[in-house]
Amino acid sequence: MDRREFLKRTAVLGLGGAALLLPRSVRRAFGAGEGLPGLAAVRGGEPGEMFERGVAALGGMERFVKKGQTVVIKPNMSWDVPPERGGNTNPELVERIVRRCLEAGASKVYAFDHTCDLWRNSYRNSGVEEAVKRGGGVVAPADTSGYYQKVPLPGGRALKETAVHELMLECDVFINVPVLKHHGGAGITMGMKNLMGTVWNRGEFHAKGLHQCIADVSLFRKPALTVIDAYRMMTRNGPRGTSERDVTLLKAQILSTDIVAGDAAAARIFGADPKNVSYIRSASEMGIGTMDLESLGVERIAL
Amino acid sequence: MLFLAHFLFRPSESALPLLPSLQVVPSILRWWGGAAVLALGALLAGRVYCSVLCPLGTFQEAVWRAGGRRLSGYAPGSRARYWTLALVLAAGAAGVSAVPALLDPYAAFGRGVTQLLRPPMAGGIDSLAGFLESRGLYGIISRAGRIPFVPGLFWGTAAFFLVLTLWSLRKGRPFCDALCPVGTFLGLFSRSSLLSVRFSGENCTGCGLCGTVCPQRCISVKERKVDADRCVLCLRCVDACPGGELALSFAPPGESLSRRGLLRTAAGFTAALGLTLWSAKKDGTVPAGASSWDEKLPLSPPGSKSRGNFTKKCVACTACVTVCPAGILRPSLGEWGPEGLFQPVLDYGRGYCQYGCTACGDACPTGAIESLEPGEKQLVSIGKARFLRRNCIVRKYGTACGACSEHCPTQAMRMVPFRGNLTIPELDPSICLGCGACEYACPAEPKAVTVSGLTVHGKIRPLSGGGEGPTVAPLEEFPF
Repeated sequence: MDRREFLKRTAVLGLGGAALLLPRSVRRAFGAGEGLPGLAAVRGGEPGEMFERGVAALGGMERFVKKGQTVVIKPNMSWDVPPERGGNTNPELVERIVRRCLEAGASKVYAFDHTCDLWRNSYRNSGVEEAVKRGGGVVAPADTSGYYQKVPLPGGRALKETAVHELMLECDVFINVPVLKHHGGAGITMGMKNLMGTVWNRGEFHAKGLHQCIADVSLFRKPALTVIDAYRMMTRNGPRGTSERDVTLLKAQILSTDIVAGDAAAARIFGADPKNVSYIRSASEMGIGTMDLESLGVERIAL
Repeated sequence: MLFLAHFLFRPSESALPLLPSLQVVPSILRWWGGAAVLALGALLAGRVYCSVLCPLGTFQEAVWRAGGRRLSGYAPGSRARYWTLALVLAAGAAGVSAVPALLDPYAAFGRGVTQLLRPPMAGGIDSLAGFLESRGLYGIISRAGRIPFVPGLFWGTAAFFLVLTLWSLRKGRPFCDALCPVGTFLGLFSRSSLLSVRFSGENCTGCGLCGTVCPQRCISVKERKVDADRCVLCLRCVDACPGGELALSFAPPGESLSRRGLLRTAAGFTAALGLTLWSAKKDGTVPAGASSWDEKLPLSPPGSKSRGNFTKKCVACTACVTVCPAGILRPSLGEWGPEGLFQPVLDYGRGYCQYGCTACGDACPTGAIESLEPGEKQLVSIGKARFLRRNCIVRKYGTACGACSEHCPTQAMRMVPFRGNLTIPELDPSICLGCGACEYACPAEPKAVTVSGLTVHGKIRPLSGGGEGPTVAPLEEFPF
């Protein structure tokens, strides 16, 4: 332990101790999250409504967003397909999250994605751009390397460094909002795979081993909250899909403070054992999060 | 100005795409009747087209006026323009599109704007956007995007416009007068046009003012005549004449439809008709793709039907290059052979053809790329992918990939079980559009999938399940 590390730890312990002396209501407002569940699973409602119930069960939006903070929301809006195709995150859900962040006192809410199809078309036709604006947020482009900054990934097994979008470095709060769907290469895509849209060099992931790179990039910045949209779930021909027939109207949503646990729960909904999804297994071994849902505390909500 | 805007910005849902269809060469290429309409127009009102509609003519006149130089009066018409017209007609008939493409004033103007003006403008917009974004202001203005830089085309265009600018400063409208095949073609009819500028009475003092303001230098004060085959009806002389001697007037009956005029008209029609019938004739080539992995045939945009149709009708105005949102269209440098120089070609090194996009066909003024509905376009196969398994990452390194299949809009590249949990792509050529998404996305070096063009575009079988909705199966209980 060097001097810097020692000071850092002392400060954290000191603050933690101080926090314990505060009344419970104040602690909750500061996000200690004690006694609150770490994962909420919701089913049977509309996307916005399911989010409301889920986030309330996790202690409200105030647990994640404090007054004056800047928030980055990372939806999936990677494909030039309309919302009915389930290729991108549900716009209604994104709009609701943006709104709740601002209501919780966020000073600014940004959303971006390094898209696969042409960014302008994907932002527009996914309906997400419009949804972010309706909610009061700002949509940022992510289509040129100028927006990205190189960061080290200490502990990465296949990826030692990568360039991430500048907003990922600048924001106070990061909220990950993927969609659950089939993926030809990775099997299933959800929380961690969605982070591939925060980096510049996507091709490198494929070249260096997709699963391990997905786990490695999750080391960079753990989202305060991961909201996995499973309202429409693409069950085949993913991640782009060829028609609405590839989609099942499932009406479900997972909210998790732990990205690995969120993916593990979503994998089960998709019908897979998380242990068989390599990036989930790797991430759990690397200590990024846990596959053990019950250790987090799970709230199950049916509407 | 409208044409400037047309080439500078990306006109999408505006009425601007109508503009190029008013242009002579594009409209003849699109529909042979265009030639007849324009010839009739010239019979009626002379070369008014040159001063009102032609962007290159307007450019020259603007340069000349900005220079403020008075001209020296009458100069006889050059012979060179007839040779130019003959050369263009002959080259057009022989299928050497480069000649008409280089001399068509509309296309030349288009290249000038996209090659010389647009890059600095886009650079300016992008740096302004960058400045705002560095202050956290996203989305105030959007970036203009880059179009491919082709050195030969850039320098050629720069040289053309430099010469033309210097020449125009001194001589008014030198291209219109001495070279332009369109102007010369219209001149064949405007000689006997109904409406023209002429000396009306006996008030001429011979002051010669009219001659100094005529950019075509076609007014002879000595002979008291205006060369109607060169006059573009800019009416500058009418404004300048102190005695009101020069006026726009209708020809007296009998004079306009002279025998010679009629003969000339008939000859012009025949030539135009011959050329356009020739270019409308069906393309006899058979569908063919590349015969080996190494051979890669160039790709023409969806809607261009075949290599033959495309190279014959394209005037290399670069309108499609400007509007392509993916930036994958670039002027060719020999892919279509020397005769198709600068006619655009698809370049999948920069991106791929977007599934729902029909921008190039909507922008094309000549019908070289026909405008397609998205539904039609999504069935047109412009090329075929070739998958080389031994280059594939999945096989080479035993790791998951699937980037090609991810991007494939029709799932012609489909992931099928390989070893263990791994999946590997499998190609179904019958639903491959040749859009290049797989080639662009493939991270392997060398590429495991490349796309080669089809000399005649094909059609894929319609994908099933277009109109059907999703499976409705709400989650009944949580599986954890």
